[in-house]
Amino acid sequence: MTGKSRKTVQVIILLAILMLGVYAIVTVVMGKEGVPKEGDQVPGFKLLGSDGAVHTLDDFDGQAKVINFWGTYCEPCVREMPALQEQWLKWKDQGVEVIGINVGEDKMTVENFAQKMGVEFPVLMDPNRDAVSDFRVGPMPTTFFVDSSGRIHHIRIGQLDLETLDKQIEQLVNGS
Amino acid sequence: MSEELKGLIVNTKCECGHQNPVGTVLCEACGKPLADEAASQDILEMRYDGVARRSQKENPGVIDLVWNFFSSVKVAIYLIIMTTIGSMLGSIYPQESTFLNIDPSVYYKEEYGQLGHIYYLLGLSHTYTSWWFVLLLVMIGASLVICSLDRVLPLYKALSRQRVPKHMSFLTRQRVTLQTDVNNEGTAWVDRITPLIRKKGYRVRTDGGTLLAEKQRFSRWGPYVLHIGLIVFLLAVLARGLPGLHMDTHMGFQEGEPKQIPDTSYYLENDGFTVQFYSEEDLPDEFKGKGKVLPEKFETQAILYECEANCDLGQEPELKEVMRHQIEVNHPLNYNGLKAYQFDYDLTPTIISVSPTLVHADSGEEFGQFTLNIRNPERTYEVGPYTMTLKEKYSDFGLNAEGKPSNMSSSQNAPAFLFLIQGPDLPEDGVQYFYFPKQIDKERFQQDALNKQLGGGELRFNLEVGSMEDVELSQSTTYLNIRIDKAMPFVWVGAGIGMLGLVLGFYFQHRRIWLRVDDGKLTLGAHTNKNWFGLRKEISSILKQMDLEVDEKSLVNNGGSQE
Repeated sequence: MTGKSRKTVQVIILLAILMLGVYAIVTVVMGKEGVPKEGDQVPGFKLLGSDGAVHTLDDFDGQAKVINFWGTYCEPCVREMPALQEQWLKWKDQGVEVIGINVGEDKMTVENFAQKMGVEFPVLMDPNRDAVSDFRVGPMPTTFFVDSSGRIHHIRIGQLDLETLDKQIEQLVNGS
Repeated sequence: MSEELKGLIVNTKCECGHQNPVGTVLCEACGKPLADEAASQDILEMRYDGVARRSQKENPGVIDLVWNFFSSVKVAIYLIIMTTIGSMLGSIYPQESTFLNIDPSVYYKEEYGQLGHIYYLLGLSHTYTSWWFVLLLVMIGASLVICSLDRVLPLYKALSRQRVPKHMSFLTRQRVTLQTDVNNEGTAWVDRITPLIRKKGYRVRTDGGTLLAEKQRFSRWGPYVLHIGLIVFLLAVLARGLPGLHMDTHMGFQEGEPKQIPDTSYYLENDGFTVQFYSEEDLPDEFKGKGKVLPEKFETQAILYECEANCDLGQEPELKEVMRHQIEVNHPLNYNGLKAYQFDYDLTPTIISVSPTLVHADSGEEFGQFTLNIRNPERTYEVGPYTMTLKEKYSDFGLNAEGKPSNMSSSQNAPAFLFLIQGPDLPEDGVQYFYFPKQIDKERFQQDALNKQLGGGELRFNLEVGSMEDVELSQSTTYLNIRIDKAMPFVWVGAGIGMLGLVLGFYFQHRRIWLRVDDGKLTLGAHTNKNWFGLRKEISSILKQMDLEVDEKSLVNNGGSQE
């Protein structure tokens, strides 16, 4: 083998090791920190909506998102629904989408509830708590404020009132 | 450039005329010691046959420096020591990953005190997934590859290009050596000994009065084969991180309901779960009389399906049965690398569906029967002359803070259904009727009183379940540990290659015998990588057949010191 081709082989081997090494470190370090924090990319999801269609995170690409985890059995969730609906109406034309993810209930319960409460923003269903575990949602309600690039801007655990919600969305829109 | 290297360059051309690369210890052609170090040794260091490693070169650039760093065995040993220490530190307290739901920033302090908190702050609570630990592993991997390449290629070249005549000082400074008079012409003597050596399994090459006999050279590749195995092993473990190659999750399966295994096209159904408990007399003494119930054996009749069509979310999947298996502890279901282990169970029965009959409350007249699926009910049911519209559905009925009917949780603890019944002899907008399928809820929530109130003081209907045949129950829920480890075959291949390497290296020895006859004087040198005793014995027995009585011990080259 000539000196030159030997050098090429050396460089290829070192590059391969470097790439594998970076891959290994990134996957291990990322995989461990499964708990999404403010500043992280929002986890993806693929859920059936109450409209009967499958929705993924990509469907809301480029939009600022308010992702709210709720259930009809969670009273503060029920109380904050009108505020979410109102803010959805206010901000939807400015590229903000409110997404409600129902945790663990069935379609009929969700449909009835949305109808009764006048909820018009997209509601997705997570009967097997897949999104709950990806988002590491503990107590409910939990709301993720995600900017248009998919970065988590703020995580709110507990009931939101109209004012706080408005302020958070405003920060979300202006910040991004 | 160091002084040492300069010195080496001057000496690279051997007196036999061969031009050796920088770093050569023993001339590649005749074996004459070249490096000062080797020249002063009484017994030659035969590692890598004295050839230069690839990394030994003049004017090393950045790439060469990196390469040289990883090609050093010393560095490899330090890396291994550091990794070992790291692993030890990681095992002082349990790792974060062993807990399902903790906040490590408080858990370690509460559980293990200040030391535990320091442990957490140092990041040792997730040692094995820390960047530095993985970096160490990657560096060991790099060292494994580069150390091997750096040595195996020159060694391969050296061993495949061996010349038969060797320098006198090469022979006399082997660990097994002999000089004696044979009073014979060189070529004739060599021709005579050749078949005798061949008989011992050696491959023999001669060149006039010189001879080279060699056997089991492949044993030299053992360590490198082992390294390849380790690299395959490491890569396989790394590949587990790729999506779809690895899963380890726990799932609950209710009897009779196929449930999809996430991220796969497989569905698993619990087709019946049975558990046997120890009888009181079989219990260990410490449990006797304490009312303890210990399961002796539990098993799940599992059916595995594969989705063939309509597999997307929200569609009704078409399933094809692919396997049936009786899952017991230590006897998992195993289908193409998908494994389901028995993990836990719950014997609380749940209602899947009921088929109540609508009857007149007073006369008991039956209007008709319908089947109500608890999880997925229909919106309307036609029952005899009546239409029953499902208005509300609850999985865990209760009254909220405002006193309104509401779900208390998402589980199916207390299912409840609010119907609107319309039909003959009823007000135009119908009457509402609450139905609790569970008897205990009927009583708890006073179904009849409630319905009387909803019916304006009159109880017109009843929903009655005649017998248990009208109730479909899931007797139990079985919890299975679902595992997919598609990288596992590669782990085994890696381990297999490694084992082969170990066998090659441990159970075979590369033996070489060089000899030359100069003016009736025999000079013999021999080398092996282990079992010197065996080699000496072999030589002694060959020489005996040549009428040379040589004591095995006299073949030992003490080099002036006691062995």
